[in-house]
Amino acid sequence: MEAKFSSIIEELENIFKNCIIGFKEIGGGLLTEVKAECLPEVASYVFNNLRMYYSTSSGSDERSIDGKFAVYHVFSADGIGFFVLKASVPATKPCIPSITSKVPGANWAEREAMDMFGITFINHPEPKRLVLPDDWPKNLHPLRKDFEYSYRPSSSSEPTISTSIDIYVGGTEYASTLPLGPYHPALHEPEYFELLIKGEEVIDVKYRGFHVHRGIEKIGESKLTYNQVPFIAERICGICGFAHSSSYCIAIERALKIDVPERAQYIRSLILEIERIHSHLLWVGVACHLLGFETGFMQSWRIREHVMELAELLTGSRKTYGINIPGGVRRDILEPYIDRAKKVIKLVEDEFKVLRDKLLVPEVKVRLKEIGYLPKEDARKLAVLGPTMRGSGIARDVRKDQPYCAYRDLDFRIAVYDEGDNLSRTLVRIDEILESINIVKQILDNLPSGPIRTEFEPKPYRIGVGAAEAPRGEVFHLLITGERNRLYRWRVRAPTYNNIPALKIMLRGVPLADAPITIASIDPCFSCTDRCILIKDLDHNYVKRTSLLSFRKFIKGD
Amino acid sequence: MARINPPFKKSPWIFHLNTGGCNACDIEILDALTPYHDVERFGMKLVGTPRHADVILLTGPITRESKIKVIRTLLAVPRPFAVLAIGSCAVGGGIWFDSYATIGGLPNLYEEMRHKYNFEPPPTIYIPGCPPRPEAIIFGAAQALGILKKKVKREVYKED
Repeated sequence: MEAKFSSIIEELENIFKNCIIGFKEIGGGLLTEVKAECLPEVASYVFNNLRMYYSTSSGSDERSIDGKFAVYHVFSADGIGFFVLKASVPATKPCIPSITSKVPGANWAEREAMDMFGITFINHPEPKRLVLPDDWPKNLHPLRKDFEYSYRPSSSSEPTISTSIDIYVGGTEYASTLPLGPYHPALHEPEYFELLIKGEEVIDVKYRGFHVHRGIEKIGESKLTYNQVPFIAERICGICGFAHSSSYCIAIERALKIDVPERAQYIRSLILEIERIHSHLLWVGVACHLLGFETGFMQSWRIREHVMELAELLTGSRKTYGINIPGGVRRDILEPYIDRAKKVIKLVEDEFKVLRDKLLVPEVKVRLKEIGYLPKEDARKLAVLGPTMRGSGIARDVRKDQPYCAYRDLDFRIAVYDEGDNLSRTLVRIDEILESINIVKQILDNLPSGPIRTEFEPKPYRIGVGAAEAPRGEVFHLLITGERNRLYRWRVRAPTYNNIPALKIMLRGVPLADAPITIASIDPCFSCTDRCILIKDLDHNYVKRTSLLSFRKFIKGD
Repeated sequence: MARINPPFKKSPWIFHLNTGGCNACDIEILDALTPYHDVERFGMKLVGTPRHADVILLTGPITRESKIKVIRTLLAVPRPFAVLAIGSCAVGGGIWFDSYATIGGLPNLYEEMRHKYNFEPPPTIYIPGCPPRPEAIIFGAAQALGILKKKVKREVYKED
């Protein structure tokens, strides 16, 4: 691994001689430890000059190892591996310079580390609470090691509910806020969007999420063992859960250098692709529903039902398959099932091709075209992922860039469209369904024989990173193994986490009637994003917004 | 307990309330509503607001952040109404039953609402499973409608 990174190591050593403490090989990439004060410069160089794609950041409470708090920033060096920057600071003064001004995508991840570990990020543009609820006590940080996972503190204040108000936007003009959620027919999950509208036009959006924070990382670190974690990882999300459990397994296999049997690799790829087909069909249905095209909704869910049957045939469950385990898979695919699976996938392909021609009619296209525009450069800065990224013309896909499971041996292409609007994101998904059907066929034809699982011996304090291309984009897991068969630190980053901040750009200037479909065009999956608990942010670039307090003053006239 | 008295005579309208579930139950609910299982043949229709609803489909372990919104939703439903608690999380908190971020399932919420809001819990049908199959959801819905009877008896576990 280090050999692949040699040119990068050399370059960094030349430029940042006094900043770098050391390099270390980790499972799936390279760890570079830098001095905390140099972090923004090094991160900026890696992001802007080496053009690595930002992945995520994570805090870590390492007081029991070396008495420090650490922060990890992860970048993807496409084709080589993951590049991890680590900086640690003494527990007595946990202050680390923020990289958000250099790498805008790091905004949320740093705020999450603030909430969960109590690390202060110096020069962070909006150091507000992100994940924990409003009524959570101030000095309590759930992911610190001295916090008991089952401790439920009493409220420090009454929980608040936002209400709709008119906002003064300068001059003689007002804009109204329109609440969308948390329980809204267009959102099947509890998330709250507050649209700031002027007439019919959306001018800004405020998002308050993390209603689905269930404390998964903490549970995984405290009460479960290695082999139990894949099952909770699968319950991070009911739609793309298998991508989560796979990338957890990949991370641990890379950290402990486990060779997974080839058959297990193929079975994982097969189920991952089946999951992509069912998830994209689900999205196509929901998108049609939001456009008022109920026939498309019902038809695509009808076709999806065959895919659910296929999943049940191969894994025993319609959803939440539970077949992943570190070292391989728990359930083999039997020979007679393969022929049946081939028949089902042929049926799905034929029916979907008919549906595709019915979907891409001018009436539907006109609703999607040139709406929700996300420019390519903004997409890179905010580090969006998956079809949202590929719809803006960035040809990245974890399956090609950081091959895992059996994807190295499979033949497929990446769907990329350059327009960056809702239509191109839709077309990416439609192409991906057909491409996944193609991959499933390839795997069913060439499933290798052999064992499906291997034993391994856990070792403490190894770092591993694993990523898998979920239907919504790259799912990323970073873990540090611990003692007594447990994880020391487990960080999960779902693709929607990176995609939601891009909605601010997409929704600007969009007519109100197109707002739900624009929100849906990133295929938001809040349960993944929120694993862990608030987001309130408002961009001040577009309209000058006075604060609530000064608005009250304005009404009272003082 | 499970039967609503009197059972709904006309089409029950349903409201889907996700209290912080992982989506698996929610997509199985949608699956039950779409052509293959087609629960709409019982006149069940998804509505956009709790004020129009007769039945609440509740999924998820009720997280700390969503709790107050769930309470307000349940208080907004016109009486009489029924609740279908769908999935292991709604039934008893699932694997997050003791996590710091959840309150551990619907029974705990009822307990709190009884004390704080003087709220008498409505007839509730618990449908376990992770996620329950659409058939199980339809079976639960049919019980709520009074079409089918419950097949198992209620048993309460007691420590000796």
